[in-house]
Amino acid sequence: MNNNLFAVVDATFKDNLEQLTLHRMPGALPFAGKYRLIDFTLSNVRNSQITNVAIFPYGNYRSLQDHVGSGKKWDLDRRRDGLFILPPKNLYISPSEMITFQRMYEHIEFFKRSSQDYALITSANIVWNIDYYDCLAQHIKNDVDVTEVMYQNIRLKTFIISKKLLVEYIMTYDSLEYRTMIELVEKAPNLKINIYKHKNYTRTITDTFNYLKSNLDMLRFDIGMKIFTPERPVYSKEKTAPPARYLKNAVIENSMISSGSIVDGTVINSVIARDVKIAKGAIIKNSFVMSNSVIEENSNINYCILDKQTIVKKNSNIEGTLNSPYVSQKEQIVTSFEDLKVLFVASESYPFIKTGGLADVIGSLSRNLARQGVSATVILPLYKKIRESFIESLKSEFTKTIIYDEERYKVRIYSYRYKKVKYYFIDSFDFFDTENVYGYENDTDRFAFFNKTVVDLLDDLDTFDLVHINDWHASLIPILIDNSKHKGLKTLLTIHNIDYQGIAKNNIIKKIGIDNFIYKDEMINFLEIGINTASKLSTVSPTYKEELKYEYYGKNLTYSLLNRERDFYGILNGISSSFDPQIDKAIKTNYSVDTFEGKLENKLYLQKKMGLVVNKDKFIIGMVTRIVEQKGFDLILNSFDSLLENKDIQFILLGAGDEKYIAELEKLEQRFPSKIKLNIGYDATNPNYIYSGADIFLMPSRFEPCGLGQMIALKYGTLPLVRKTGGLNDTVLKYDPITKKGNGFTFNNYDANEMKNGIISAYNLYKDNKKDWNKLIERAMKSDNSLVKSTQKYIEFYNAIVKN
Amino acid sequence: MKKKVVAMVLVGGRGTRLEAITKSTAKPAVNFGGKYRLIDFVLSNLSNSGISTIGLITQYEPYELLSYVEHGSTWDLDVNEGGISFLTPYTSMEGELWQKGTSHAIKQHFRFIEQYNPEYVLILSGDHVYKMNYNLMIQQHIESKSEITIASFKVNDDPSRYGILDIDGQCKVISFDEKPEFPKSNLASMGIYVFNKSVLKELLENSEEDDVDFGKDIIPLALKQKVDICAYEFEGYFRDVGTVKSLYQANMDLLDNPHYLKVQDYKDFPLFTKSVNLPPHHIVSSKKITNSMISDGCLIYGEIIHSILSSGIIVKEGSIIKDSVIHPNVKIGTNCHIEKAIIVEGSVILADTSLVFDEVTVVDNDFLWKIGELNE
Repeated sequence: MNNNLFAVVDATFKDNLEQLTLHRMPGALPFAGKYRLIDFTLSNVRNSQITNVAIFPYGNYRSLQDHVGSGKKWDLDRRRDGLFILPPKNLYISPSEMITFQRMYEHIEFFKRSSQDYALITSANIVWNIDYYDCLAQHIKNDVDVTEVMYQNIRLKTFIISKKLLVEYIMTYDSLEYRTMIELVEKAPNLKINIYKHKNYTRTITDTFNYLKSNLDMLRFDIGMKIFTPERPVYSKEKTAPPARYLKNAVIENSMISSGSIVDGTVINSVIARDVKIAKGAIIKNSFVMSNSVIEENSNINYCILDKQTIVKKNSNIEGTLNSPYVSQKEQIVTSFEDLKVLFVASESYPFIKTGGLADVIGSLSRNLARQGVSATVILPLYKKIRESFIESLKSEFTKTIIYDEERYKVRIYSYRYKKVKYYFIDSFDFFDTENVYGYENDTDRFAFFNKTVVDLLDDLDTFDLVHINDWHASLIPILIDNSKHKGLKTLLTIHNIDYQGIAKNNIIKKIGIDNFIYKDEMINFLEIGINTASKLSTVSPTYKEELKYEYYGKNLTYSLLNRERDFYGILNGISSSFDPQIDKAIKTNYSVDTFEGKLENKLYLQKKMGLVVNKDKFIIGMVTRIVEQKGFDLILNSFDSLLENKDIQFILLGAGDEKYIAELEKLEQRFPSKIKLNIGYDATNPNYIYSGADIFLMPSRFEPCGLGQMIALKYGTLPLVRKTGGLNDTVLKYDPITKKGNGFTFNNYDANEMKNGIISAYNLYKDNKKDWNKLIERAMKSDNSLVKSTQKYIEFYNAIVKN
Repeated sequence: MKKKVVAMVLVGGRGTRLEAITKSTAKPAVNFGGKYRLIDFVLSNLSNSGISTIGLITQYEPYELLSYVEHGSTWDLDVNEGGISFLTPYTSMEGELWQKGTSHAIKQHFRFIEQYNPEYVLILSGDHVYKMNYNLMIQQHIESKSEITIASFKVNDDPSRYGILDIDGQCKVISFDEKPEFPKSNLASMGIYVFNKSVLKELLENSEEDDVDFGKDIIPLALKQKVDICAYEFEGYFRDVGTVKSLYQANMDLLDNPHYLKVQDYKDFPLFTKSVNLPPHHIVSSKKITNSMISDGCLIYGEIIHSILSSGIIVKEGSIIKDSVIHPNVKIGTNCHIEKAIIVEGSVILADTSLVFDEVTVVDNDFLWKIGELNE
């Protein structure tokens, strides 16, 4: 049996590790002071005497390549077999939850050439110590097709399969229903599957919580002993550092400290990597500090993950929690949060003016920032609607003359303090005194003027540390700042919607008073200029940020965004704490995660309200949405006939939008009047009836930058069924029939059939397995997508921008 | 293939004055500063000086040294042409070639030097503690058109323990006295030489059979033959750690005078050493850890004060380690008290043992046996 196994190390996915994996793959993450995550898998490979290994990396694998080298440390630097790093050939395959057969097909030669009879497919982000040959022995003994390796209830994306069978799947990947080993095990009929249960400590590193937790676990003697054994050591790349040095004032309690560090402060229950300097009076607790960081005097650090070369300034107080640790960025300079001054520039903000989700985000983010000690200011144009509703309460500040297109325009500045947020409004009869916010021929002029005025106003207002600009309406701010005496002021451009970009004749740049701009084309693109010139960029979810690198999502701006990849972040929005079935006054019965039986009463109430059959066993699909192409209505119209015909389903929708789709939906309603209730118009009914009363909440979007509906549905215990895209992918975790984990349902491709199958499997679970269903509701309601969490991420990010 | 410089490193020393520390290992393989071995200094210096053709002349207990150095990848010296070659005593037509002294050892392995036909031969020793860029010395050697250059340093204590150089205003060596009763200067030879290869060859060929040492025989011979000899004055920290006391003192210098060797800021001139593949050390519970250096894989429950701990050491609850140097894989039981000791690799110290000394003392398992017997 010896040497009858070759290994495929999957490093193709990105997990929710925020900025930690921005410039490195999860496998290259530092761990336990002197290791990288992939060391565990490679050391297991070495200790199992496996000599033929392929690593499939994703994206930027420089740091992985640097670490792994020729594989010498793991005895993989050999003549026969050895270590192969097999990069993607097709950059347009977006990452999946694990390596796909398609990705393996790109390097089919490796599989065909391998002389071993069995393949081990495993992952680069597991902390464990295992003998793979033990798994193979069981695989052979039980005479199965696939062995899946698990620890307790955790799936480890680790499988054993015969080379022959694997090559078959790879060769026919384009005609298979399953793209990965996970899907194969879940869906393939007549497949003999064996589960190998590994008994010793094992963790997969998928988010910042379990990253910090598993690091701190190494401080527990019983666990450390299982991972670092003398018989099966963990190997890593050699570095040169002297022994750690303790000075006069060092106080250490239960901590691991690596070579080269110099400690003169207090370290409690923490893991310290190489070459970290901890000054006198500094206190580090429950944290993981990566190499070359400097912790200055009297700083206080608790529940933090400090990336390499972080500098924590004197007297700083940095605190996270175990569930949501504070994460610094590589080379970040960290100080306390106080005194951060942020200026928001956007075209709308709730409660003053709202046409879409942008207003909600600006309004709630600024409010929550202010609540958490950040000084937040918002500047808006004074639209007619704002004047009509608010002018009485606004304070007139001063007037100013703005030169635009060589003409002088007078503007008046008003201010208002709303829940600790300072608002400024720019009143200009010439540009903003309009009925609507957008939709005018001179929109680009209006917002160019807005941008110009904002930057001129910087002379008059208090100073800011950062200008947070949003969408195309504020995208000219960075070049205006660069051409003003405020040059050097940092800007963050957040892209909420890439569909609107602001296209104008190139002379608009002259109009705002900039002469030295180099034109490529006759037309210029506001958003593109913003992308090229802002200090940092962000969008509203980590997955959407990845997707924008592909033309399918990023469209004409893909190239500009790729150029700024290093400065581009994804930060998920959150929902306000007022979305809570426990306190919601609108719904029939309040309920919480402990009393979600109360949800049933809301379901019956919803059925009654909608005029549908009142029956607790009907399966209700709810939707609250704009009715537009993006939201997946083509999929619905193409599959709901057969779905509704055969299943005991009710479908309730609230929304407004595209007439074409509404007409089609109405026809569908006429075909199934007892099963469908459409509520057309934004306030046709209270959306919270649907959030609280439906069984699943459907979002089959073609793309979805962030999405708030699924977050609200989760909070109300209505299981989301979504396409794995954008923010949906970041918030909805698929129900896993083997481990019973997850908080909803997902499907991959924008395909009516896939969506239908997804709904049917949710339907079947609902009908056949109430226990698992209820477990899912519990998990869904416990999901944390709060604004508080999202605001915290923004503060971390602001600090990273300002202090670097 | 021709090389400009070939370095010959003498690592054969028995180091008898290091007592139990060298019972089963050559002096250059002795532990130093927690995670280093003495030979790391010369090999790191060579690596940092970009000299990669090296002959390592071994003799006494070479096994541990050989397995430690291997092909030299730790110091990036595993290059395709040149690299590290082990030169061991061998038997030839002329009989067994056991080395009698430093120059004798070079003479025996002159064929190794010849195959690279270098211009300069750098003669080094494997048991010195110092960081030195040899290029600066070679550069001075070339610029001053010397035939031999001797590295030297200023001694503050008793010069009569060293080989003392007397030089003229231009650094030219006028006389050389090995351990003189009345030293003429305080400039001492470090036992490090740059020779023009042709000069070295000639000197060795012309030497008598009992001329076996550079300091005692070859340099005086060269002076007699009016060879141009220059002194290169090295201004950094240099220690010949031939005795227990000097070895201990050099270790303590790391704690008390970190600026001497600058092991902590090692980016420019790193000191390479082979890593032991252990996790970082774990301080489980400890009342006090001050002024100390601790290496990977240690498990600490006790107090560590002003001491250096190598890798894989266990110090149990209630034990106090003070002013001591502990070599790898030493196990120290509960409630021990250790002061001013060098504990040799692999020693096992049972609970409640007191090893408190006024003068630094080497402790190994034999020593511990004896105490055990005395106590019974």
